[in-house]
Amino acid sequence: MNRLKAIADGQTFESVIHQEVLDRDPVVSIRDFSLFYNRKQALYNITMPVAKGMVTALVGPSGCGKSTLLRSVNRMNDLIESVRIEGDMVLNGESIFAPSVDVIALRKRMGMVFQKPNPFPMSIFENVVYPLRIDGERDKTILMQVCEQSLRGAALWEEVKDRLSESGLSLSGGQQQRLCIARAIASDPEVLLLDEPCSALDPIATGKIEDLIDRLRGEYSILIVTHNMQQASRISDHTAFMYLGRLVEMAETSTIFTRPRLSETEDYVTGRFG
Amino acid sequence: MVWLSGGMFAIACLMIVSLLAFVLWQGLWTLWPRTYSIYGRKDGTLVGGELYAKASLEGQETLYLRTGNYDVSNQHFAYVSSSELVEQSGWLAPDLWLVERKEWGNLYGFPKQLSWAQASPEDFVRLVQEGMRQTAKIDRELGEAKNELKRIDHNIAEARLGIRRVELAERIDLQKAAETGSLEGLSPSARDAVSKLVLRNRQADEMMVEINDRIARLEAQRAERTVVFELPILDPLGTITADWTDLSAGRLRDPNGLAELLGGGEDSSGLSFSAEPMGDAGLSDPGVEDQRLVCKVTIPGEPTRRLMIRRLEDGRSSVEAFREHSILLADMVRFFPTNRLGIFQRLGVYASRWWEFLSGDPREAGMEGGFFPAIWGTVVMTIVMSLAVMPFGVLAALYMREYAKSGWLLSVIRISINNLAGVPSIVYGVFGLSFFCYIVGGYIDGGPIKAGFEPWPSAAWFSALGGLAIVGLIAFAVSIFSGQAEARRSPMRTVLRWSAGLLWLLTLGLIVWLLVKSPHFHGFYEAQLPNPTFGKGCLLWAALTLSLLTLPVVIVATEEALSAVPNSLREGSYACGAGKWQTIHRIVLPYARPGIITGFILAMARGAGEVAPMMLVGAIPLATELPLDGEFPFLHGSRSFMHLGFQIYSLGFQSQNSEAAKPMVFTATLLLLSIVTVLNQTAIWLRASLRKRFQTSQF
Repeated sequence: MNRLKAIADGQTFESVIHQEVLDRDPVVSIRDFSLFYNRKQALYNITMPVAKGMVTALVGPSGCGKSTLLRSVNRMNDLIESVRIEGDMVLNGESIFAPSVDVIALRKRMGMVFQKPNPFPMSIFENVVYPLRIDGERDKTILMQVCEQSLRGAALWEEVKDRLSESGLSLSGGQQQRLCIARAIASDPEVLLLDEPCSALDPIATGKIEDLIDRLRGEYSILIVTHNMQQASRISDHTAFMYLGRLVEMAETSTIFTRPRLSETEDYVTGRFG
Repeated sequence: MVWLSGGMFAIACLMIVSLLAFVLWQGLWTLWPRTYSIYGRKDGTLVGGELYAKASLEGQETLYLRTGNYDVSNQHFAYVSSSELVEQSGWLAPDLWLVERKEWGNLYGFPKQLSWAQASPEDFVRLVQEGMRQTAKIDRELGEAKNELKRIDHNIAEARLGIRRVELAERIDLQKAAETGSLEGLSPSARDAVSKLVLRNRQADEMMVEINDRIARLEAQRAERTVVFELPILDPLGTITADWTDLSAGRLRDPNGLAELLGGGEDSSGLSFSAEPMGDAGLSDPGVEDQRLVCKVTIPGEPTRRLMIRRLEDGRSSVEAFREHSILLADMVRFFPTNRLGIFQRLGVYASRWWEFLSGDPREAGMEGGFFPAIWGTVVMTIVMSLAVMPFGVLAALYMREYAKSGWLLSVIRISINNLAGVPSIVYGVFGLSFFCYIVGGYIDGGPIKAGFEPWPSAAWFSALGGLAIVGLIAFAVSIFSGQAEARRSPMRTVLRWSAGLLWLLTLGLIVWLLVKSPHFHGFYEAQLPNPTFGKGCLLWAALTLSLLTLPVVIVATEEALSAVPNSLREGSYACGAGKWQTIHRIVLPYARPGIITGFILAMARGAGEVAPMMLVGAIPLATELPLDGEFPFLHGSRSFMHLGFQIYSLGFQSQNSEAAKPMVFTATLLLLSIVTVLNQTAIWLRASLRKRFQTSQF
């Protein structure tokens, strides 16, 4: 607990990242990344890789900055006027925060799913092909193909194939979230960002989403924020434990949950605090 | 507390319901055909009328009667105290006609004679109907002929305008050339203009003779056919001596001296005489002065006459004739025996009156006939207003909600807009009159001088134009630079953005200033001056004034609709790689559409019912031309127009006979209320149905 107390006191702290994580080929590398809301610092010098083709889970107590970190990857925090950042991230070798980066083009290379399902007020079909629509794609056959592919990818095709023209809002909560996942993978993203995708869902829908994430493993690189330890242990390959804006420890999931190097991590994953 | 609040609620409900019921009752009842009763007064005269209301004044019952026959009696309505009357229930004469006329309002009387046919009274209905069909045709032809005249006048006026334009452009005087038609020493354009006028004048002279002939012929035809009515107004003829009992029983074929009174000499053979009592109490009343009879007297070879015989105290009887009055058949709009109608016939008349009210032109300065021009004017004005206010309001709200950085400036602006909604509408009217009509309209008509500005000398103006170009370029450069990434991160970014904004404002101001001070612009309608084209109240300025008035409503409603769009939707769209405008146009606006449309319709309803500014910026009590018609360019922004709300005001309080117009005021009120209600209901329905579409199963 000493280290956590040290963090709370604002002392500098060295993250522990296991070698097995560093050995993997990264899709996103976060390099010495800090983030400020006005003068208040929310993230402290975070350096961590997100492995290609794997599921990386961000865990930690509420307010530790996991969502902020996730939303920094596709620069959603740009929308907040008071945010200022230091450091950089790299997506497949290209900088994310360099001044010359086109944010819109950058976001098109990633998919994102939010806590609450947020289907757009349009038909299921239009929801899925929205990323293509904004690129000006009009070819019906291509749109249909992508729609089917994405819905199959999100394990929703069988349930909605007969009512593609119905409103996306007519689906149940779990279906809506899978629709959002289908939308996120429609543009074939390099990395998929999931921000507590199951926190607003019932256990059955949660199970379906978890199955889906399991199926997407290998095909997509996934960075997922969760506060559910069981979920992290079930679905992720790597787990990063964060606390008060700092990365504490990152390792393969099995390592984190069975023999972490830091006792604080063990305390957290076993539910002794947080 | 529950009693107090509940009581207040009940009072509020009661007030609303009673207002609606009152307007509904008055409005619906006005056009209903009523019966016309004739009452005998104690002084021996008659008074007839449709009973509109009974009131108790100072303990006496007073009847409010629509007497009609304005051209004879000089009144439309009369208050009659019941103590003046011989009997309280009037005489419902069965063969009395109600005639609605194009002029002078309603006529109530007994048809006596047709000028164009000898016919028995039973055939009158058929003959008058046939005749009216023919006179309608004549009126139509007359209208066409008058339109042709108007077109000729219009053509000549246009040619004169052409000459005036050439005069203004070339600074020459063509007065003489136009009079004589000589083209010597004129420029080609002046020659064109003058020869056009000469040609048109010649054409007009040729056609005018023929058209005037035609009009005179048609007018003569129109005046040919008249109908003679006997009105319930008495003219004394003299006295006779006859036994009252025999008289009242109708036994006497020829009362002594009656033939003489009628001008038929001593010979009374062939005179047929029938008597009917007037009113229920006509004979049973014991008082001598109350006994009266209405008699029909037929003299061979002449139409039947109606007489009133009244018993006098000395055993003699006075004879009075119903006054004859002849009207043109062509002036008749509608006629029916009002006391003899069954319920279905009454409904038919009622429907046809409503149809005329909704689709016809006004008669009698708007007191009779239709409200179509007013309805049309209101609708067209409201539509133009909507077209003006919609883009303004929605874009302004979009900027405030989606683009602008929130801060003290935005809050101040937002509060000001909310306050703007509370400014009395007459203020907008005054502003519209002084700014739109006189300044902008004057500028369009006759350039800066007409709008009251002193133009600069040419050289100064052109150097100012150069200055404008430089300022504009700087503004452009600064805003481009401030949009760039490096500039956005620099500490100077706020300064840069502010200066770009201020520079653009300066540019805009300079443009306006240069327009105002231009020495080279003399208006688009200089040739028409001093008659104003846009420099007066007209449809365009009325619509723009109202759009200013409804702008806060639209902005506030749109802002609320935009802020109701969940942020998660915007984030979702950005996360898909959509830009700001793509997000707004594909996600935010569709989601906010029900709210925006609702605000928009509420603004329309507010605008349609607004009267005070209309009085200043373009509504007039009687317009001959519609603001939107089949004549090029179809929408005439520079025309004055009629407006329902204004019509209520001008009919009820400004017309010569506002008492007579009162029923029409209620009908117009009902119409305006129903238009506004329909608009509001549409808004509510639209909002509900669109909401349902977007919010199904949102958990």
